[in-house]
Amino acid sequence: MRIIDFHTHLQDRWFLRPLPSETQFLDGMDRCGVEVSCIYTIMGFYGNCERENNQLANYARAHPKRIIPFATVDPKLGKPAVEELERCLSNPVFRGVKFHNWLQAFAPSMARETMIEILRCCARHDAPVVFHDGTPPYATTFQIAAMTRWVPEAKIVLGHGGLADYVYPAGQLLRDMPNLYICFCGPKAGDLPYLVEMAGADKVLFGSDFGFSDWKMLAGRLDDVIESGLDNASIEKILHGNAEQLLHLKERPL
Amino acid sequence: MKIEPPIIDAHALLGAEYHLKLDPVELLRRMDAHMVETAIARPMGAELAVFNTEGNNRVLKAHPRIRGMAAANPWFGGKAIEELKRCRDLGAVGLFLHPSRQGFMPTDDLVRPLLDFAVEAGWPVMFHTGSYVQSDILALGEVARKYPGLNFIAGFGGFTDMWFELPGLFAEAPNLYLDASVMWSDAIEQIVRERGESRVLFGSAEPRNCYAAGLKMFERLDVNDQQMRAILSANAKRIFRLP
Ligand SMILES: [Zn+2]
Repeated sequence: MRIIDFHTHLQDRWFLRPLPSETQFLDGMDRCGVEVSCIYTIMGFYGNCERENNQLANYARAHPKRIIPFATVDPKLGKPAVEELERCLSNPVFRGVKFHNWLQAFAPSMARETMIEILRCCARHDAPVVFHDGTPPYATTFQIAAMTRWVPEAKIVLGHGGLADYVYPAGQLLRDMPNLYICFCGPKAGDLPYLVEMAGADKVLFGSDFGFSDWKMLAGRLDDVIESGLDNASIEKILHGNAEQLLHLKERPL
Repeated sequence: MKIEPPIIDAHALLGAEYHLKLDPVELLRRMDAHMVETAIARPMGAELAVFNTEGNNRVLKAHPRIRGMAAANPWFGGKAIEELKRCRDLGAVGLFLHPSRQGFMPTDDLVRPLLDFAVEAGWPVMFHTGSYVQSDILALGEVARKYPGLNFIAGFGGFTDMWFELPGLFAEAPNLYLDASVMWSDAIEQIVRERGESRVLFGSAEPRNCYAAGLKMFERLDVNDQQMRAILSANAKRIFRLP
């Protein structure tokens, strides 16, 4: 079965800790049968977004059939952030946007005007916007979901589907908000049938956080889906079908 | 490393809570399917927060292969201690506390009588950890320092966003053990590498996680045979004083 990993990080280090290299990253994808990975930065959440976005684009140029970069910007900067986002999304190699409000140190409402501009820009480019969720005080699942009302035409993805403590409300929000999606990355096998039951299998995408840790993390997160007891048709949608749609892979193949 | 019996599951949940549900018959069926000899279960949902007697009966009377950690809400005061005494007589092997569901701080004075009772009963104490505010894993660290003679288990291992506290906390609290049921492999490997395999327990977190996914994760761990045996059964046997 085709597998698209909607949530990974490709970065040489996190602070001083070395992370899987480009080669190890591709090897891990091969080992676990992942065809395409959406890659995000890590160090770019602390600054130098432009440099990190360029690095992500370089990885994609080196592996155009395997890697799709998601850009990030710093909404605390206001207009320059919107301009950097526009620069990235005008480049067809970028197909999505990632924020990590916790690490980037902003609550969406603290940067509300800029976030609205950013979400409108993403909607114009029809690029999904992934947010880390599940962690107070800047990235609770409710804080992320609230933005779906600010710009209803934007496609907002809970990067962790409620993670540990917000899975139950994540299912309710997913059901109630048409432009909200979930990346299943962190919750466990017993949580997945509930999320699908609440909102159907069309709004859940597989993600692993691979790159932040080694290939075993990717293998484990795949098991969270495969061992969930869901029917095959739902698993197909989660592992690749929904991502193909959000990333326009049929209309714009890699 | 190949997974081989005996396997003791140090953390399963029985009852119902939100979308999760598990009864003893189904737990036994899953244990059999995955060669799990014994599971140590604890109540969940309303039976964890309020109706402790019902929850404790559910886990303690389930089946000889299912052992129970007793739950008692510390806010019940003297009644909580009475309930724990009843559970000891029914064969409970530990105390389970969930600071978020039960609404207290691990360091609150009202918890002390329960911890004193665990000392008397020879029980380890598992605290749910990882949820913000009450279930702060560092609050458990403070309690572990105050009770050096008592064994504490970090339930769910601070899952998820207190995982970065684990290495430092495990270095400082020798009486703290990791329930690895929902953690990822390299966080577990780091504890084994730096603190030894005696500090890690296999758990399933059934029905939130499942044996199939959990055991595959353990199988992939970079540990040797003897370390795997400790993690899968010997540590639980020692800490819960199982026969
Ligand atoms: Zn991530």
